[in-house]
Formats: sequence, structure tokens, C-alpha cells
Amino acid sequence: MTPENAPVLIFLCPFVVALLLPVLRFDKRLAYYGAVVALAASAGLSYWGLTLVQNGTAISHFMGGWLAPYGIEWYLDSLSALMAFLVTSIALIVVFATGETVEREIGTVRIPYYTIALLHLSGLLGMILTRDFFNFFVFLEVASLTAYALVATGDNVRGNMASLRYLFIGTLGASFYLLGVGYLYAGTGTLNMTDMAARLPGFIGSRTAFLGILFIFLGLAVKMGLFPFHGWLPDSYAHASDSASALLAPLTTKVIIYSFIRIFFSVFQVSVIEQFSLDTVLLVVGAIAVIAGSFLAFVQTNFKRMLAYSTISHIGLIMLGIGLLEKTAFLGAVLHILNQAVMKAGLFLIAAAAAHRHGIRDILDFTRLRARMPWTLAAFILIALSMIGAPPLFGFFSKWYILLGAIKTGQHWVAVLVVGSSLLTALYFFRVLERIFFTSPPVSETVAEAPWRLLACTGLISIALFVFGLLAPKIFTWGLITLIPKGL
Amino acid sequence: MEVASIRPLLAVLVSAAASLGILASNRNRTIRETWTFAAASIKFIIVLSMLPAIFRGNILTFKILEITPGIICSFRVDALGIFFALVASVLWIITSWYSVGYMRALKEKEQTRYFFSFALSLTATMGIAFAGDLITFFAFYEMLALATYPLVAHKESREAVLAGRKYLVYSLTAGALLLFAITWTLDRTGTVAFTPGGLLAGSFSSKELLIVFALFIYGCGVKAALFPVHAWLPSAMVAPTPVSALLHAVAVVKAGVFGILRIVGFVFGPELLDSSGLGRLLAGVAAFTILYASCMALAQDNLKRRLAYSTISQLSYIILGAALVTPAAYLGSIMHLANHAMMKITLFFCAGVIYAKTHLENISDMGGIGRKLPWTLTAFTIGTLGLSGFPPFSGFISKWLLCEGAVEAEGWVFLAVYLTSSLLNAAYLLPVVFKAFGPPGTKQITASEKGIALVWPPLATATLVILFGIVPFFILTQIDLARIASSSVFGP
Repeated sequence: MTPENAPVLIFLCPFVVALLLPVLRFDKRLAYYGAVVALAASAGLSYWGLTLVQNGTAISHFMGGWLAPYGIEWYLDSLSALMAFLVTSIALIVVFATGETVEREIGTVRIPYYTIALLHLSGLLGMILTRDFFNFFVFLEVASLTAYALVATGDNVRGNMASLRYLFIGTLGASFYLLGVGYLYAGTGTLNMTDMAARLPGFIGSRTAFLGILFIFLGLAVKMGLFPFHGWLPDSYAHASDSASALLAPLTTKVIIYSFIRIFFSVFQVSVIEQFSLDTVLLVVGAIAVIAGSFLAFVQTNFKRMLAYSTISHIGLIMLGIGLLEKTAFLGAVLHILNQAVMKAGLFLIAAAAAHRHGIRDILDFTRLRARMPWTLAAFILIALSMIGAPPLFGFFSKWYILLGAIKTGQHWVAVLVVGSSLLTALYFFRVLERIFFTSPPVSETVAEAPWRLLACTGLISIALFVFGLLAPKIFTWGLITLIPKGL
Repeated sequence: MEVASIRPLLAVLVSAAASLGILASNRNRTIRETWTFAAASIKFIIVLSMLPAIFRGNILTFKILEITPGIICSFRVDALGIFFALVASVLWIITSWYSVGYMRALKEKEQTRYFFSFALSLTATMGIAFAGDLITFFAFYEMLALATYPLVAHKESREAVLAGRKYLVYSLTAGALLLFAITWTLDRTGTVAFTPGGLLAGSFSSKELLIVFALFIYGCGVKAALFPVHAWLPSAMVAPTPVSALLHAVAVVKAGVFGILRIVGFVFGPELLDSSGLGRLLAGVAAFTILYASCMALAQDNLKRRLAYSTISQLSYIILGAALVTPAAYLGSIMHLANHAMMKITLFFCAGVIYAKTHLENISDMGGIGRKLPWTLTAFTIGTLGLSGFPPFSGFISKWLLCEGAVEAEGWVFLAVYLTSSLLNAAYLLPVVFKAFGPPGTKQITASEKGIALVWPPLATATLVILFGIVPFFILTQIDLARIASSSVFGP
């Protein structure tokens, strides 16, 4: 285990196990344990990787010994290590927690399910770790194709329809990305990101470069569910099986946002973003996403659909943080990626818990949960408050750093929006809380909590929000040294 | 001298720990109530133990975390903070007894949720009192809003849920604007620590200063029920009476007023408020609120709503005193913060006893009730007289100081407002007393003062009203503490 191999090892754990699972099909329970062990190993390795690069250094691995720019380079720096750790640990928690849920929902086809889930995660890890534009496309497709399959695990026609819709729109996004890469390759003759960054300045003024960057942006915007390209997202998350949506919702869009940061800030760099006024585009689109997403979340009756629109709104907020092109706000956005992943995992697990035992998916029925699932609801209160941004929970700090950044740059309207997004989030979460706690249930109920693994994991996440809340300033200070891209 | 101490943290956390205990002992209500009493007593003892250090001129600090490099969130116990903490923690002990009596007498549902939220509210209140900087202040300010929401909506009736929504909309909006103002301040001045005498001088242009001031005052003014953002308070009277008593007469609304005292004395500072004219602007709004709310109180027949409007008016007494930015007025404000608390909680306790014993809410039905509930109505009378500013009750002293402050500031209009309003106080509260001790009404009332838990708390707080109006030891201790606070802002 030499440090140079760290990036690849993180990826290999879930990937190899994914390929092994169909072979080990004599016992269905093995699939679950295999997935958990693979993800635990991967999370451990990511943590090791994170400690290796914590002082801002980076580790490169050249596939097969072929040096860049001819071979494929994999790359672990503070940001990618952080993301890899986030993805693997959240995936571990979700997969561990949804053991019973998968048994009930997926039934006999559990082995393919876990294979696909692990392949999806391998795809995400590949996107995080690769330093090559085409290699990135391959993993984008791996992650996307498996995501379509995961959405289709929903037990009805709507799940399949959502999957098909996701497939159409997603393929369009991937094609845009590939087209963009094609233009850039035509202009620079390289696919390695580091090499591209070096060659780009001489070529950036051309129309080819403009088209390349535009198409890459469009492709990623579709894939991350950025408003107005979010059409595939609500249906997919609402109609996928609970186990699959808990895995997809926290991670997939966040990894694309990470890739966006990677490509636009360390390859194209800030000067290019300013040249094409991309920062203004991000601010405007982000602002619309925050407002529209929140209001659409407010009118939903399906809990998972509400969470999906909440995701769209918070992606907008992250874009606001990035679009300000300011250190504090940038780190706020990165922190918001982290805490959104943690909180959305918790919320989708709660959705799974409510549906698993009691079949409750409609917010209007949530009042029946009050007596049935007191502990799950306690976790829900904490996560909801963190989503709203109540101090000292994790959710407060990211919003506050974005707010501080907005005020520092003098963009007061963005600051108003950031503050307003908290209120809008409060609007739709208090609607649920009011339904649960201040609408008297029709009949009296007895306690019937979620399965223990599900309950333990939601509890763990809600407590983690406190811990990370207290750690957030430390992560921020650390990030000031290690995470800030050049030119900010 | 600043002394590091963990006691402020303990004082804040003791009720948070108790709230978890309350949740855990859901099944056994005796154990559950023990948590409340234990936390209330321990909290009071911890707060009291910090008092000698404050009188020696020390300030106790506790560093919480460094939120961005160089900006530290901390607790900082000074005279103003401990003054508020003492008021809240003493009255919490009494209210706890009253709560138990009231909730059991009325067989209220979800009592665990009620006591849990109550303990959390007190945690937030202590945090506000001891906050050493604006960000810590904001954190606990939000916590208070969120922790009191379940208490407002407690009844789960349509009316209660709507009142809860109204309360949330008002207070979360206020919190958001407050956060905006705080962050702007941080960006301009590079600090958010409360600084005696102010920290904003020279960092904002005069137009921006007006905006920041408006944001801060809106942020705290909602909790302080300042016109025109007062409307949530009368609606919130749908909450159980102990909530109205401790939170809507003491903890929540006083947290708002306390915030305004902090902002006037420790963020803007007297000089800046004077030179920019913003002090007079706030004074004008507060003066209007006093008269407006007093007139509204006259028109209410529901006793709790009448008391709520009276609270709105009395809170603006304090705000007006702060806005006059003279030492005497500021001193009077701090004193009135405590004195109004004990008088108004007495009145609310009495209203609660009347409701629990007779289910009467409207004053017009209360004829002759004084004969059935003599002790309760005696306490009510003491509260009424104190609130109207009669000597020898504690209200007289703080009102006198406030008037002195108005004279010192040469604000003759404001002096007139204080005096007129005192007459109005008597005009809307004394009729209740006359009605209660007058001839019985048409409704047959059967009630008695059995059940000690409900009857002694109003008498205890009424005794406080007298003690702080007569006994030199109490008055002098109170005034000395207030004077340390005021002189830290204005200089000795």
C-alpha cells in the first residue's frame, strides 16, 4: 500500500466486489455483507488518503505506468480525498442502514441490486479521482447507466417511466459533455486535465474553446439537476425504491458539482470563468433555483418529492456560493456540498423508515408517525433544523460562510437570497413538522419503530450534525489553506 | 478584569441536560418534574455564584469556538447579562411549580413535550444573557424562537396552530434580518464582540447606518413586540398560561428588550446614536408603541389579551429608556426589565389561576370572583398597583428612574408619554380589580383556592414586587448591579 496507489485502491474496493457478487450467488445475504465490507474498506482507504494529502500535497497515479499526458492519470488532492471520503462513508451508512428495506423492496434480485449499486459508487469514485477528460466521461456513463437502473427498481410503472425520462435527459447531458470535450481536444490535442490547463491560455480566445466550455457546462448542468435542467430529478427520486433513492439523492448530484468545481476552477480557472461571465450566469441561475425549488418543495404532498425539490433548491444555493468567486463563499459552498450529502442521506433514510413499516409516503399522513416512531422523528427534527440552518448545527455554518462571502464581495442581493433561502427551507420543513406534531392523529397509536439499523444510522447522522457543527470552523480554517483553487 | 470560567457554560447547559432527562422519563411524571425543579434550582445557584465576581468588577468569559480565523464566539458574563439571567432563573423556579400545578389541574396533553420545550427555552434565555458576541447571541436567539414554537402551538387547535405559524414567521424573519445585520457588521468592523460604548463608530455611511440600525431593531424588535411587529404576542396568548407568564412576559420578550439594550449600549453606543439621531427615531417608535398598546389594552375583554397589550406597552417603556441614551434612562430601563417581569408574571399567574379554577377568560364575566379567590386577587391587585407605578411597589422605582432619564435627555414629550401611560395602566387594570371585588355577575361561579401548587406562585411573585419596592437590601443590590451595567456603557 504505497501512497501512489491510494487513489486506485479507493476505487477498486467497490469495483472488484461489484464484479465478484454475481459469482458468489449461493447465499443472498453475502451480497449485503460484501457491499458493506467493500464500502467500509473503501471508506477506510479514503480516510487514509485524506490524511496523506491533508497538508495540501497531491498524489498522482499513472495507470499502467504510462505517464501523462499519454496515459491516464489519477489524482488525489485535499478536495478529491474529501469527496471520496464523503461518498464512501455516506454510501456505507446508507447501504448498511437499508438492509431490511432492500430485502423487502428488491426481494429476490438483491444480488444484481448490490452489484449495480456498487458499480454506481465506483463510477462516482472514478469521476472524483480521474484526471483525464475522456476517462471522466467513461465513469460519468458508468454512474449514469447504473443510476437509471437504480431508479427503475421502483416497484411500479412510475419508477420505470422516471427511469426512462432520466435516461433520455441524462444521455443528452452526457453527449453535451462529450461534445465539449471533443472541441477542447481538437483545439489543444490533449485530454489530461493538468496538460489542458497549461495549453488552454493560448487557445481560449477561439470560438472552438467557447463552444467546448459551453457544452461541458451544459452537460454538467443537466447532470447535476441545475435549474432549469432539473426535470429528470424529482420523478427519479420520488419513484425510485426507497433504498435506491437514499443512495442516489445524497451523492450523485453532489459529485457532479464537485466535478464542475474541478473542471472549471482547476482546469479552466477563474480568469476563464470571468471572461465568459459564467459567474453571473451561476448567480442568476442559482438564485432562480433557490426560489423556484423551495416553492415547488412547499406544494408537494409526497415526502420524497419534497426532498427532491429541496435538493434542487440547495444545488442553487451551492451555485450561488461558487458563483461569488470569493474564498469564504467558495468554502461555504464546499461545506454545503458536505452537509447536504449528510442531511439528505438522513432525510431519505427517514422517508424509507416511514414507508418501510407503515407505508406512509404522504406528508398529510405524517401525523400518524408521532406516536409510532418517536426516535426517528427526533432525528428528523434535528436534520430539519440543520437544513433550515439553525445554529449550532452543521447546516448553519455553510450558509453563513456563503452569506459572509456575499457581503464581502458587496453583492448584497445574493446575501438577501442566502438568508431568504433559510426562510424558504423553514417554510416547507415546518409544514411537515406542524403536520406531525400539531395535528392531532385520528386514532391513538403505539410505538413501532424502524428496524434498528435504519434507526441507528438516522440517529448517527443527526448526532453527527452537532459534531460537524462544532468542527465546521476547523474544516473551514483547514480549507483556507488546502481547498482554495488558484486565482480566487 | 476578565476571568476565564466554565460557570456560564454550565448555567446554560444544565437545563439542556435536564431537557434530555425529561424526554427520557416520559413514563413517570414525578421523575420528569424532578428534572425541571433540579435544573431550575441548580441554574439559579450557578448564576448566583457568579454574582460576587461581577460586583468585584470582574467579567467572566468562556471561549466556545473560533468561527472564522480571529472571530471567536464566547460567553461573557457582565453586569447586564447576569441581571437578566437572575431575573429569568429566579422566576423559572417559581414558574416550574406553577406549571406542574396548572398542567395537572387542566389535564393538558403532551406534557413531556411541554416541559422539554420549556427547559430548552430557558437554556436559550441563559445563552442570550451570557452571549459575549453577536453570533453567539444570534445562535441562542434562534434557539429561543424554535424552542418556544411548540409551546405556542401546544393546544393543537386550529387557533393555536395559526398562532404558532404567525409566531414562526415573525421570529424567523427577524432572525434572518438580524443575521444579515450581524454579518454586515462583521465585514465592516472585523469584530462582533459586544463592546461597552459601541463598536460601529465610523464603519458605516449614514445611509447604511440607518439600514443596519433598522435591521438590528427589527431583529430584536419582534421579540420585544415593538410596533409594528408586535402582532404575534396577543395571538400567542393561546398558549398555556405558564408559557404566557414566563416566556411572553419574561424570557422571550425580555430577550428582545435585552437585545435592544445590548445593541444600543454595546454595538452602536450612545455617542453614535446621539449624533446620528437614530436614538430619537427609536424613541419615537417606542413612545408610539406605549400609547398605542395601552389604548388597545383598554379595548380587550379577554384578560390574557389585555395583559399581552399591557406587556407590549411596558416593553416599550424599556426600549424608550434605552433609546434616550442617558445614564439615568438606561439605568431605569435595566431596572424596569426586572420589575416589570415580576409584576407581569404575577398578573399572568393570577389569570391562569382564574382560568384553571373557573374556566373564565373574559373580564366581563369575572364579577365577584375576588370573594372566591381572595389570595389570587390580592396578588393581582399588588401587580396592578405596581404596574401603574404606585409606591411602595417596585414599579414605582423603575418608573421614577425612567422619568428622571427623560428629564435628563430633555425629552419632554417622552416624559409626558411615560406619565400618560401610567394613567392608562391604571385605567385598564384597576377595573379588573374593581370588577373582581364588586358584586357577583349573572354567572354562578364555584371555585376555591384548594391546591397549593397553583396558589402560592402568584403570592410569591407579589411578595417580590413588595420586597423590591420597600426593603433597602433588595433595592440597593438591584440598583447597584444595574448601575455597574449602565456605567460600563456610559462611563462612571
